[in-house]
Amino acid sequence: MKVSTVRSDDSIPVIPMLECSGITMSFGGIPVLRGITFTLEPGTVTALAGENGAGKSTLMKIASGQYRPDDGEVRVRGQHLHSGNTQAAYSLGVAIVPQELASIPELMVYENLFIGRELRNNFGVLDRRSMIKAASGYLEDFGLDTDPKTRMGALPVGVRQIIEIIKATNRGARVLLLDEPTSAIAEREVARLARIVRSLRDQGVAILFTTHKMEEIRAMADRVVVLRDGKLVSDTPLADITDDGIVTAMIGRELDQLFPDRPESGADTVLEVDNVVIAQGSEPISFSVKRGEILGLAGLVGAGRTELIECIYGIRKPVSGTVRVSGTPLKAGAPLSSIARKLAIVPEDRKGAGAVLSLSVLDNATLPRIAAFSKFGIIQGRKRRETIGAIMKSMRLKSDGLDQHLENLSGGNQQKVVFGRWLTGQVDALLLDEPTRGVDVGARSEIYRIITELSSAGMAVVMASSDMPEILSLSHRAFVMRELGVVGELDRAQLDCPNVQDTIFRLASGQSAAPVKDTTP
Amino acid sequence: MNTTIEEIPVPQRRDWKELTGGFLIRHIMVVVMLLIVAFFAYRSARFATPDNLTNILIAAAPFALIALGQTLVILTGGIDLSVGSVMAASAMAAAWTAKNAGDNLMLPLLAAVVTGLLAGSINGLIVSRFGVPPFITTLGMLTLASGIAYVIGDGAPINGLPTSFGSFANTQILGLTFPVILMIIAILVLAFIMKRTNYGLRVYAIGGNRLAAEIAGVRSRSILFSVYAISGVLAGLSGLMLASRVITGAPNLGQGYELDAIAAVVIGGASLMGGRGTVWGTAVGLLLIQTINNGLDLLLVPAYWQSVIKGVIIVAAVGVDVWAARRGRR
Repeated sequence: MKVSTVRSDDSIPVIPMLECSGITMSFGGIPVLRGITFTLEPGTVTALAGENGAGKSTLMKIASGQYRPDDGEVRVRGQHLHSGNTQAAYSLGVAIVPQELASIPELMVYENLFIGRELRNNFGVLDRRSMIKAASGYLEDFGLDTDPKTRMGALPVGVRQIIEIIKATNRGARVLLLDEPTSAIAEREVARLARIVRSLRDQGVAILFTTHKMEEIRAMADRVVVLRDGKLVSDTPLADITDDGIVTAMIGRELDQLFPDRPESGADTVLEVDNVVIAQGSEPISFSVKRGEILGLAGLVGAGRTELIECIYGIRKPVSGTVRVSGTPLKAGAPLSSIARKLAIVPEDRKGAGAVLSLSVLDNATLPRIAAFSKFGIIQGRKRRETIGAIMKSMRLKSDGLDQHLENLSGGNQQKVVFGRWLTGQVDALLLDEPTRGVDVGARSEIYRIITELSSAGMAVVMASSDMPEILSLSHRAFVMRELGVVGELDRAQLDCPNVQDTIFRLASGQSAAPVKDTTP
Repeated sequence: MNTTIEEIPVPQRRDWKELTGGFLIRHIMVVVMLLIVAFFAYRSARFATPDNLTNILIAAAPFALIALGQTLVILTGGIDLSVGSVMAASAMAAAWTAKNAGDNLMLPLLAAVVTGLLAGSINGLIVSRFGVPPFITTLGMLTLASGIAYVIGDGAPINGLPTSFGSFANTQILGLTFPVILMIIAILVLAFIMKRTNYGLRVYAIGGNRLAAEIAGVRSRSILFSVYAISGVLAGLSGLMLASRVITGAPNLGQGYELDAIAAVVIGGASLMGGRGTVWGTAVGLLLIQTINNGLDLLLVPAYWQSVIKGVIIVAAVGVDVWAARRGRR
């Protein structure tokens, strides 16, 4: 959509707040965005929808001047945005509230709000009293009853996020980019966020937010732009598109190809979780997973999926309960004994817990079973190179060789190393926590292939995921978790029901009639 | 979209120019070192002689041991500020033992090693078990060990030691003094350990990402403990060598050595954040510092100016390294 250039001063055409034209970008030869063109009008809320790895966050970063696209242009109110310069974007009125919030946790709320443009009195000294007063006014305007003198870090993520929004709009932001604004906040906070977004819209702010959740699109947006695989596949007013239409646009025809066939699960039990209590007061969890079976763990952020996986593996000590692999109980809080019992894990936070980015592919892959590659503590160079080379080849790792450092690989390839390093020996039970987070679509399908191959080779798999299609297509059985407990179990037939997403969402958010404790404060 | 590459590609052959350029950039510190050597050799006729080379090695030896220990500690993301004081305490313990034990050489050796091990183990224990930041822990040990050094000598140096005490530093084997041989052995052994053993890989792993290493089954506490213990033992040996050279135990010996040791490690390309660095790098950094010391002495540069010049060269050298690393990676 093109807007005619302003010719005379008395006719006031609607100048788009933000125009992206032909944005193209690739990382390490892999295209992430391919010719994206769209505009944001003042006083509108646009949802930027798409699956993980569709290119949403990259597009946000380009629109806010953080990344320089390989091709294409961003214009803010008609002016060219010099990319690679967030300050310039800011002064043009574009503000981004990133997924990882940029607030300073050690400073107080009002200090965060005024940082960089502090109020000073006549002596040039900080005028804290005025700042506090102004800050409490702003907070009130946005419906927060937070004391401006609270330490930022002490607040829940949802409140911090709103404070970031206040900060941005106070500084004259006319285009507000919210990257996954609801990924880490509670249900109640989502409603408040939606209210704030609408009130900003009514003040003429153009808002773009990324999401892959249908409810949020319905609750907040006027218009939805769908990205898939780096391409813009749909750009329509919300009223003109059905939920199914959005999902189809997001997932495309690829859903069938993305997921391989699910192999049959075996008969004998491998992993047993017996009355594990994750934290004081939470419900005990018991289940068992058979050879070749994939158990999915669904739930909202903070529901306890990661905690459960960590308890099973032994990074976290549960309050009580035992975990057994092939009948042998594991020692709680001792990863080394879990590895010896043929348990393997692919953690949620790849950079923080999965891989050592400063080490090579070879060294990362050696780490969990280092003893298998060494004699008297000395590493047997040839043997490990051969073994690991063969495994990485079967993983279809794309790298410049085994000596390449992990920090120079793409997210998907890093993940393949984190998977592959376990396969240098026998694995009976595999724990996966968000196995495709931050992984591009091409590599995702390969990771799905790896998961199903491993399970059909006889591993028991527990997979926590926020990606609904992943849970629905890969698992033989799925649990829904909430408040550190299991609130529902769905078998394969239930997972195939058309309204299963809704069921899972209800269970996860505590709106169902299932036996769930009332949690109103 | 699914461009599946079936094989792990072999790095493509690059043209000669790119290859040498890459090589030079990767070994930029060796290049810097050669330039400095060339400069001194041009300015002073006495610099490029076998005798002077030996002098440089002899001066480097006590630094080498603590710089090697420091390398391991820095690879885990820590720092050991106590090595200079631990040298002093170990030297005093050895001197005291030598004075009271007569001609027995094993006892002073044992005294120095045990003192170093004890100090290092305390550092290691506090860092690994109680999670006190290494900077604070070893800063405390710096003060404590220095105090102990003075306590042992009752505030004064220990003189009048049997001449046999000098044999640690002054015995020659194949024309090299014992400390130089010890330095060479230590470099070779540690380079092997860090490159080729389980232990070395684990040290790199916990420095690169401690949580990920633990999840992969590395017992990070024992590894952390060990690097401080090793650093302590090496400081103990280093203190013994220094005291033996002058056949005196001086409580202020080794003062400030920790800073030169850290400088050597950092010049050698290690990251203070951990996970990056090599034993070879430290060896080059060490020789660089000692070459500068020696060369400036020969050029009769006043001591205070030497300090100024050294400071500039250290920062410049690391600056060049950071630049080269950025170039090399792209």
